[in-house]
Amino acid sequence: MTALLSKQLRLNCHPMTLVFLLAGVFFLIPNYPYTVAFFYVTLGLFFMFMNSREQRDADFVAVLPVRKRDGVKAACVFTALIEIMSLVIAVPFAFLSARINPKGTNLAGLDANVALFAVAFILFAVFNIMFLPSFYRTGYKVGVSFLKASLCVALVVICDVLLPHVPGFAWLDGTDKASCLRQLPILAVCAAVYAIATLLAYKLSAKRYEKVDL
Amino acid sequence: MNVLEVEGLRKVYPAFTLQDVSFAVPEGAIVGFIGRNGAGKSTTLKSILGLVHPDGGTVRWHGENVKNCEKTFKENIGVVLGGVDFYPKKKLRAITEVTKKFYPNWDESKYQHYCQLFSLDREKRVDQLSSGMKVKYLIALALSHNARLLILDEPTSGLDPVSRDELTELFQSIVADGTRSILFSTHITSDLEKCASHITFIKDGAILHTGTLESFRAAFADKGHTLEDIIVSVERRKLDDGAII
Repeated sequence: MTALLSKQLRLNCHPMTLVFLLAGVFFLIPNYPYTVAFFYVTLGLFFMFMNSREQRDADFVAVLPVRKRDGVKAACVFTALIEIMSLVIAVPFAFLSARINPKGTNLAGLDANVALFAVAFILFAVFNIMFLPSFYRTGYKVGVSFLKASLCVALVVICDVLLPHVPGFAWLDGTDKASCLRQLPILAVCAAVYAIATLLAYKLSAKRYEKVDL
Repeated sequence: MNVLEVEGLRKVYPAFTLQDVSFAVPEGAIVGFIGRNGAGKSTTLKSILGLVHPDGGTVRWHGENVKNCEKTFKENIGVVLGGVDFYPKKKLRAITEVTKKFYPNWDESKYQHYCQLFSLDREKRVDQLSSGMKVKYLIALALSHNARLLILDEPTSGLDPVSRDELTELFQSIVADGTRSILFSTHITSDLEKCASHITFIKDGAILHTGTLESFRAAFADKGHTLEDIIVSVERRKLDDGAII
């Protein structure tokens, strides 16, 4: 797996996949739907899969001494690593955002708080479950798979914009300590949903890719 | 002793069927796998490698079904698929650094030796190499992880006569010590006249003959003297002039 992950980083990863790890910088923009920042992370992943296809990665992996599903596993693990790293890198920017804008007056969606990270986990879960199995059905239809996944991701972004305005959910928009503590269980549940969805996406992708004739 | 045995391999496509393909690659042999375009050579090689899923048949590596020893099988083979360029924008150095991590038998000194022998510049990108140099690079990778069997799909297609001659000479030197073998698919039969010890002839998805070069010549003695004459004589279909017009 280490060798496959190293291949993924050195031969498959597109420079923009790494640049979009800095998605948290978007938190410094006033009045902006911050979940869009994580959409850019998925765009970076799309570049990586497109790059792999254009560089005929599937043919290279097929003759390496690894099982076909191991290649899929490495791509899924690398995808999850990029997503989680983007969240970790975004944390200091969330603190910075709260300092710049202490009253938390983002009018375009959730403020950069704990609930935003919970929604980001859901966004990545939706992307993984929609994109990965769709791509591995053929191993080459990367554009259609990304379009399908992006439409679903757009729904998550819309939820982010609407959520603070729904009566009874205003507490999700808070950046004070008490609100953030109240949001923590939501973060834990959404992280668990992400883990389950990503595992499911891998299992489905591997099963589908086994049937593909290269 | 056979390093590779293929028995009853079948693959059904809507417009083409690979029918019970059986042959063997003996240790130290260069097996020429011949047939016209579309005869089933690449499908057979891809089925051996597991790139396509055969509908039947078995592939054995030193007598063991490759399904039970896939990792060992792939660690001990080197593959050159015709017309396939991996990572055209990457430098050879980067591809080698990644590739060697997959092979416990990787021998860096051998790799350096073959790079020097083939005049490979490791700072060049794949798309800066000529077709012949790309094949040589892939062969250098295969030999550096001590591959016992090279599976080459149309490695000399698109090469000039001098490069083809160099490669056939190289193939002979690879098997010279009797421990390595080559399975070499091609439709350029003149290359095989120079280096092959065995011939497997496939026509319309079925094996017409498999055996030594001498037995192949004997079996088709009435069709011609050279491999090319034999194949043309067996494969040539008379054109229906009326249908063309």
